[in-house]
Amino acid sequence: MAAPQLDVRDPLEPAPLIDGRYDDKQINDSLLEHVWRGAGKGWWACFAVALSLLGMLVIALSWTLYKGIGVWGNNIPVGWAFGIINFVWWIGIGHAGTLISAILLLFQQKWRTSINRFAEAMTLFAVICALLFPLVHTGRPWFAAYWLLPYPSTNGIWPQFKSPLTWDVFAVTTYFTISLLFWFLGLVPDLAALRDSSQSKVKRVIYGMLAMGWRGSGRHFAEYKWSYVLLAGLSTPLVLSVHTIVSFDFATSVIPGWHTTIFPPYFVAGAVFSGFAMVMSWMIPARRFLGLKHVVTMKHLENMNKVMLVTGMFVSYGYLMEHFIAWYSGDPYEFAQFYYTRMRGPMAGVYWTMIFCNVVVPQIFWFKKWRTSIPVMWFASLLINVGMWCERFNIVVTSLHRDFLPSKWEDYAPTWVDLSLFAGTIGLFSTLFLLFLKFVPAVAVTEVKELRHELAHDPTVDAVGETH
Amino acid sequence: MSCDDNHEARTRDRDRRRRSLPIAGQAKASAKTYWTSAEDRARKGVPVGAANEFPGGTFDVKPGEEGTTRRGFMQVASLSTAMAAVGAACRKPPQKIVPFVNRPEEVTPGNPLHFATAYALDGYASGLLVESHEGRPTKIEGNPAHPQTLGATTAFEQNLVLSVYDDDRAKQIRAGARPLAWRTFLAEAAVRANTLAENRGAGLRFLTAPTTSPLLADLRRRVLERFPGAKFVSYASLADDGAAEGAKLAFGKPLVPRHKVASANVILSLDADFLGEGSEQTRLSREFAARREPSRQMSRLYVAEPALTVTGAMADHRLRLRGSEVGDFLTSLVSMLASRGLTALAPLASLTHGQRQWDPRWLVAVATDLERNRGNSLVIVGRRQPTAVHALAAALNAALGNLGNTVEFAAPLTSDTLAGAAPLAALAGDIAGGAVDTLVITAPNPVYGAPADLKFAKLLERVPNTIYHGLYEDETAAACKTIIPAAHPLESWSDLRATDGTVSIVQPLIAPLWGGVQEADVLAAFVGEGDVGAHALLKKFWQAQGKAPGDFEGNWERWLADGIVPGTATAAEAGLTVDGNALAQALTPMLAPNRQQGIEIAFAGDAKVYDGRFANSVWLQELPHPITKLTWDNAAMLSEKTAAALDVEDGDIVEISSRDRRIDAPVLRVPGHVDDCVTLPLGYGRAGAEKVAEGIGFNAGALRVSEAFWYDRGVTLAKTGRKVKFSITQDHWLMAPDGRDAPPPAVETSLAEVLDPKSHFHQEIEERRPNPEHPLPFIHKPVDYSGQQYKWAMAIDLNKCTGCSACVVACQSENNITTVGKENVRKGREMQWIRIDRYYTGTFADPEVVIQPLACVHCETAPCEYVCPVNATVHSDEGLNEMVYNRCIGTRYCSNNCPYKVRRFNYLNYVKDYTAARELGMNPDVTVRTRGIMEKCTYCVQRIERKRISTRIEGRAIQDGELETACQQGCPTRAIVFGSLNDSNSKVSQAHADPRRYDLLHEIGTRPRTVHLARVRNPNPELAVAAEGAAGPKGGHH
Repeated sequence: MAAPQLDVRDPLEPAPLIDGRYDDKQINDSLLEHVWRGAGKGWWACFAVALSLLGMLVIALSWTLYKGIGVWGNNIPVGWAFGIINFVWWIGIGHAGTLISAILLLFQQKWRTSINRFAEAMTLFAVICALLFPLVHTGRPWFAAYWLLPYPSTNGIWPQFKSPLTWDVFAVTTYFTISLLFWFLGLVPDLAALRDSSQSKVKRVIYGMLAMGWRGSGRHFAEYKWSYVLLAGLSTPLVLSVHTIVSFDFATSVIPGWHTTIFPPYFVAGAVFSGFAMVMSWMIPARRFLGLKHVVTMKHLENMNKVMLVTGMFVSYGYLMEHFIAWYSGDPYEFAQFYYTRMRGPMAGVYWTMIFCNVVVPQIFWFKKWRTSIPVMWFASLLINVGMWCERFNIVVTSLHRDFLPSKWEDYAPTWVDLSLFAGTIGLFSTLFLLFLKFVPAVAVTEVKELRHELAHDPTVDAVGETH
Repeated sequence: MSCDDNHEARTRDRDRRRRSLPIAGQAKASAKTYWTSAEDRARKGVPVGAANEFPGGTFDVKPGEEGTTRRGFMQVASLSTAMAAVGAACRKPPQKIVPFVNRPEEVTPGNPLHFATAYALDGYASGLLVESHEGRPTKIEGNPAHPQTLGATTAFEQNLVLSVYDDDRAKQIRAGARPLAWRTFLAEAAVRANTLAENRGAGLRFLTAPTTSPLLADLRRRVLERFPGAKFVSYASLADDGAAEGAKLAFGKPLVPRHKVASANVILSLDADFLGEGSEQTRLSREFAARREPSRQMSRLYVAEPALTVTGAMADHRLRLRGSEVGDFLTSLVSMLASRGLTALAPLASLTHGQRQWDPRWLVAVATDLERNRGNSLVIVGRRQPTAVHALAAALNAALGNLGNTVEFAAPLTSDTLAGAAPLAALAGDIAGGAVDTLVITAPNPVYGAPADLKFAKLLERVPNTIYHGLYEDETAAACKTIIPAAHPLESWSDLRATDGTVSIVQPLIAPLWGGVQEADVLAAFVGEGDVGAHALLKKFWQAQGKAPGDFEGNWERWLADGIVPGTATAAEAGLTVDGNALAQALTPMLAPNRQQGIEIAFAGDAKVYDGRFANSVWLQELPHPITKLTWDNAAMLSEKTAAALDVEDGDIVEISSRDRRIDAPVLRVPGHVDDCVTLPLGYGRAGAEKVAEGIGFNAGALRVSEAFWYDRGVTLAKTGRKVKFSITQDHWLMAPDGRDAPPPAVETSLAEVLDPKSHFHQEIEERRPNPEHPLPFIHKPVDYSGQQYKWAMAIDLNKCTGCSACVVACQSENNITTVGKENVRKGREMQWIRIDRYYTGTFADPEVVIQPLACVHCETAPCEYVCPVNATVHSDEGLNEMVYNRCIGTRYCSNNCPYKVRRFNYLNYVKDYTAARELGMNPDVTVRTRGIMEKCTYCVQRIERKRISTRIEGRAIQDGELETACQQGCPTRAIVFGSLNDSNSKVSQAHADPRRYDLLHEIGTRPRTVHLARVRNPNPELAVAAEGAAGPKGGHH
């Protein structure tokens, strides 16, 4: 890596957004380097692991489609389990990308620039993983594939618009479409850069086609900027709406533990919380192994930790209110759900794991020392991922397995297929992500260059980034 | 989609099989030959060739075309679709065919017919009506005209339409491995008979089940005429010999009691599960329920028993007693009553009784109640009790003046009075002595059911000729030389008597599917009439009886149609007296206290497989046991205290040793079980060739010996360290689990509370049902159904429901509900639409039980409906919550949002392994559900629609009572009523207006259409304090 010449610093924070001083070419070269560099041993090793997990997904999916949902651990009353837990978990993970890309863009948070591509890709892949489940968790996916869509069928039957599952279909497909467009639009200038720097004709043609004729003219940039902001505007409500609608799957029901008005904001906060944790879990190794430390700096990481602290507090507040309302409402079923079934029932371990990971662990980010410690934050982000999965398990399985009538209470245990599907989606996610790292730049090169120029010409910032 | 193709293929397959069935009235010969190949085909699982695929030129497909070209395939596929739509008439075969002009009278394709017949479990008849679709029996109902069933059934009887199509049934007459034709067998039997006749038949023995059949009795007489040296022996593994022997001691002649609980104000049941087993079960359930209406006339039930039974769960007061202590209790009761002025009991007052293990107040309360209700009280003793207890109870009933009112005694109607261990032991002695040359066995599986000390299988090796006539290739078939597959009761001509003597003619619903032979034919073979046929024998016999003066044919048809032969009831004995002194003398040695210490073993007939004969039934194996809710298993049942002393928990396998015999059995702790006793249900651990029964449970019979047929003392239990996992559908949940102060799911109260209109009960229950003055707050405006012609609703009276589970199987049969197997039950995926919830209150040791059957309650504002994304569950104008199977994509969201959790999901393709024969028994009015589909109670919508059609044709409305759901129809106690709430006089309207009515989970605002009526207990005020102390629902275990 080129030696730092000049610090370009953010006006508000002493920590730099771009560590060192580079010209455009240096940035270009350093950020495209991991694409042009041949796949190393490390990449192949990761890819092999990811592919084998993906293989598990294929086997588990095939077995499920061949035999039926009975190969999962679900029963009556636990009609939903791993399928829906994984769906909600993955959808939640996607939220970080949208938040970083769209909302932070609209708020002109400059620190988003280095991590947005990364986070957007994660959104996309997480939504792909999530989308798998609503389809395969149905008893007859071959019908679910199109009966859930509003099309004018000859027998005049439409989906039922009162059902939150129908809303889910709209919410999630919209989310996927917008995320894909947003990600791709941001990629276009970088694809052009890849086209221009590619060494082989095949690559030049492929990247050229994907770059859609980008020449970097002022007009291109003007149109690009407008559409980018427009898409950001479209995405912004999605950050709130998607998980709100997912939460309606539960909130509109009558089941104690589901029937809760706090769910929409609590789910959104949880989604951002888990999404940021997932970005951290991947970003920390990626910035090291891909040589991105100079653009993804401690400032980025620290900011992300702060977001996790805030959203973690939201989530904790959600837990608090759930328990408070369960007591305050005087509903004996809800009270039993929160104070007996969850805290002391057969699945209490999951509950306490959730409390530890989601309530206790983020509190360490109050302290700058830990907020800026790479091993601490990485480990914490992993724990938060676990905690958020446990939260969904608590909501979905623990609520269902003991509801109103004790005569139909059943325990739940996942089967190898459930575990393989979960591990398999992690494999799918990882595979897509590793391929992403191999074929497109992990950091939005154009935007970093732009940021460099912005910071360099900002009269409030001097040459070394010190604020006047 | 591929699913549709499969469906078409299945439809085609099924149509073909149905066309080829041996249906009564059609040519029999061709049917027989066909079935050989179908059976082959079903067993091997390979499709027969194209030429056989559409036999007899049913339609025109050239061989080779089908399956080889797309066009050929499409032709067949489209053809079968068309056939399914318009019947098989759209493409004429090239050969000349003759239309079905002279179709059998009364057969309209698509409309079922009902035939009266009868079935006997241990000799005595239950009159049935069998629904038949185009010659296939599909559903069993009780015959309302029959004095025993009164229109209801038991779970065993419902099971007949499954067992008749059981592919595991014995199918081939064989001698060893050599297949025989019936005529060959007859020829060989004739030769043997001639040889035997030379010796007056001295070496000939018949081992039969106890039967009341007049025809079989006549054949037996004729056999004995020809072979005076021959002997007939009856054996039933669950024989009820004590009653007849006891009556012999008490009254001087063997008589059997006929109970009439309808006239009993106070009932004391001593180890008698009269609501759950026995030949009077169905009738007694009805009579009992009729007296449980909460009024001053409500009867009171005391039960003393070792393990909770259906009857014990209905008790007002229940006493845990070991089986061997029942006699002690009864002698104490007798002496107490003798001291209170029942002078007839004075000679019996000094009989020894053991130390008192029971609450003395219980005894006093029972004695007082019995005395107060002289003439209207009843003491019932169960079949497990020894002769002495039966004799004493008979004397007690006589002294209380109950004879002729609540109990009558009549001459036994079975061919042999005794059918227990004693006659079988005598036969075993004959065999061991080498006196038996030919043994004909028509009893169901005696090798399995015989006491272990007889070593019956080994004994059979010493008999040169053993002929077994049985339904299955079971343990007995394996031990016998000649096997004759028995015709199923639904395939047979016979006659049977009910407990009151009324004769029913058993008529077949279907020609024998696998060439089964009827019992009458086997006996007739020994008088040279083996080829006459049971029908001819039966008709000839009844013609000779002279019961039908004049037009025999006309009378015969009326008997068949009605299901009973009028005027055949036998009178009870009148003027019976007990000689107290003689009885006391006889009883003194018999009642010598058995003070052998240790744990007592109690054998029990099983509520699901009976004595093992139903072990191959998937319906009954998967039926949750009425009390333990155990499926696909039996268990060594213990009290919590005994289990703790042995340091064992549920599922721990223990080695049980008794008299040098050992078995391994898993332990199940059961609330209400007596301490120091282990109950072992019989009928499991089968070792025959039946596939369903294979490997299920343990054979408790291996510990059973002739001299301790029901109870034995001094067994030891040792922990082995191994464990099994039970498939139990409901744990021992308390009514108020997890410390929640929610209203308990099932409402119960006492008679005093119900009768007092200002009581706490009436205030509380008011909050559990809609109150027009204080409606629940609600988002939606409730739909007004008053403009509809019908507003369907149901009510279930917990005060009548005994939890016998007949409704569960009736529903399963009516609605083609599949079974899922042991593993899937354990995972919580059982499919029965009716769940009989059983809640305990009080302590584990002495709980009270409330039974609450629950199926879909058809909420007016159903939480399942609004969450379905594809409109697969919707509401009908008449208030039915409907399931649209075709539209269901299986998100299971509806089930999640169902507060009652009464929806059932096809997690796997459970129906794919149905045999060709099994499919014949399906109800054609109800869709068979495939994998990935939700299902639940439909209020038997197919019955509603069928009745709607027939009444519309007649231009009238459906009358209250003429439409019954399957569960309602099967219910022995009439606990379930169904009808329209828009008819204010209907029974269901009255039930909905009952002060005991409550809506389960009313507070959620679901407005259920099925409501429950609270259970009422009628405790003796003298014992009420004790009962209340134990009735607190706040317990701590689960």
